[in-house]
Amino acid sequence: MKIRGGQPRGRRLQLGVRGRDGGAISALNINRTGAPMSGSEPLDRAASSLVPPTGGKTRAKDSFDPIRHQLLTGAILLATTIVALFSSGAVLAVCGAALAAVHWLSGRRWARAIEKAREEKRFLDEQLIQSQKLAAIGELSAGIGHEINNPIAIIGQEAEWMRHLLQEEPGKTEEISDSLREIVRQVERCRDITQKLLNFARKMEPVFQGVDVNRLVDDMAKLVEKEAKLRSIRVIRIFQSDLPALFTDPPLLRQVVLNLLNNAMHAVGEKGAITITTSASGRDFVNIVVSDTGCGIPKENLGRIFDPFFTTKPQGQGTGLGLSMCHGIMDRLGGRISVSSEVGKGSSFSLALPADK
Amino acid sequence: MPLSPKVLIVDDEERFRTTLGKLLTVKGLQVDNVGSAREALALLGENNYDVILLDVKMPEMSGVEALAEIKKINSGIEVIILTGHASVDVAMEIMKLGGYDYLLKPCPVEELLAKIETAYDRKREREGRGPKL
Repeated sequence: MKIRGGQPRGRRLQLGVRGRDGGAISALNINRTGAPMSGSEPLDRAASSLVPPTGGKTRAKDSFDPIRHQLLTGAILLATTIVALFSSGAVLAVCGAALAAVHWLSGRRWARAIEKAREEKRFLDEQLIQSQKLAAIGELSAGIGHEINNPIAIIGQEAEWMRHLLQEEPGKTEEISDSLREIVRQVERCRDITQKLLNFARKMEPVFQGVDVNRLVDDMAKLVEKEAKLRSIRVIRIFQSDLPALFTDPPLLRQVVLNLLNNAMHAVGEKGAITITTSASGRDFVNIVVSDTGCGIPKENLGRIFDPFFTTKPQGQGTGLGLSMCHGIMDRLGGRISVSSEVGKGSSFSLALPADK
Repeated sequence: MPLSPKVLIVDDEERFRTTLGKLLTVKGLQVDNVGSAREALALLGENNYDVILLDVKMPEMSGVEALAEIKKINSGIEVIILTGHASVDVAMEIMKLGGYDYLLKPCPVEELLAKIETAYDRKREREGRGPKL
């Protein structure tokens, strides 16, 4: 049996199969987008006619048995995104297997088709990333709009109220002063948002240096401890003493740890505990975990807490940028941040940073 | 005696609703304000408001949810949505739920006042009392 390479024809690929006698057994004409949707029946029929005549020279089967098996029991689809479609209807991304199949088919045209397909895949991947970026920008702008429009609305109203007072009731100087104070407060609120955004957007290269993780975490714990005491919150430290060396950007890491501690304080409110743990996963990662006995995060919110502007706090009390900044920083430090939480029991935020090897 | 609409402001931003309340009061309107949708719904039974100014993004119950509830309790009340967030989807939903209009924060008080008055006229017309002259 001889399996002959098909020609990429426009958006179609054709797999031609010839019997030993040179007569065509079957041909699969597979549409790139249609095939995976077309169901397994026509492919099954085609596959059954793919079974090679017995006694044929099938040397290739010895070297590539699994793929041959797949080819002969199902059908293989070498579409531009390189997937294999089996008789069961399963679709499999098989760059490696497809390549093996190409060797088995030993058709140079297939190899070229696959190379082209990979290029196209790379291009589509890039486009996808671009569109995701655009979507993120859209979401971000909507968030900025909302967060800034509220203080601006208040500023506008206070100005109108002052104008009314000056025209109609100029004696009420204390009320005028009050409006002025409010305007200053709201301008600060706007500035806070834009400042955080700028920090968020800035592409500052982290400056990596050797860090004593336990000490850094302890420093941050001290910052919240005073306030914690007033609110009957215990701050428990469980530090591993022999942590591997860590090269990271200390100010950025401090920012993340402090943010997590502040969040934990907020979640507990009053009476409870915050546990800070440092540990090492082998010699590869240093972990910092901040757990609290606070209110916890509902399941439906867990997937969104790292999104910019996502907040459940009342107006003006949270910008929803803290955790998204933590996420961004951890990315830049080459680490990870993850969360687990149960409503009513508390939350646990874990940082994993690559250790210096 | 000029007829003045009875207005309820629902917004979780305290300073926004109180100052707006003062500005509308000096324009001759009767104004109450509350900080949440729940408080607003509780007030509806005992008061006959003509126009409600409703914020969208509030904790617990959003303005859009509140709008549906308000219309259930009293479909005659005109509701103007005030929001800092422009979104076509939200606007569409508000209109579907019977909201009268949609205003983006920040907006000048004069503009808001004009909208309140048109909403009030519409309500009176529907009630067969004719527009305010």
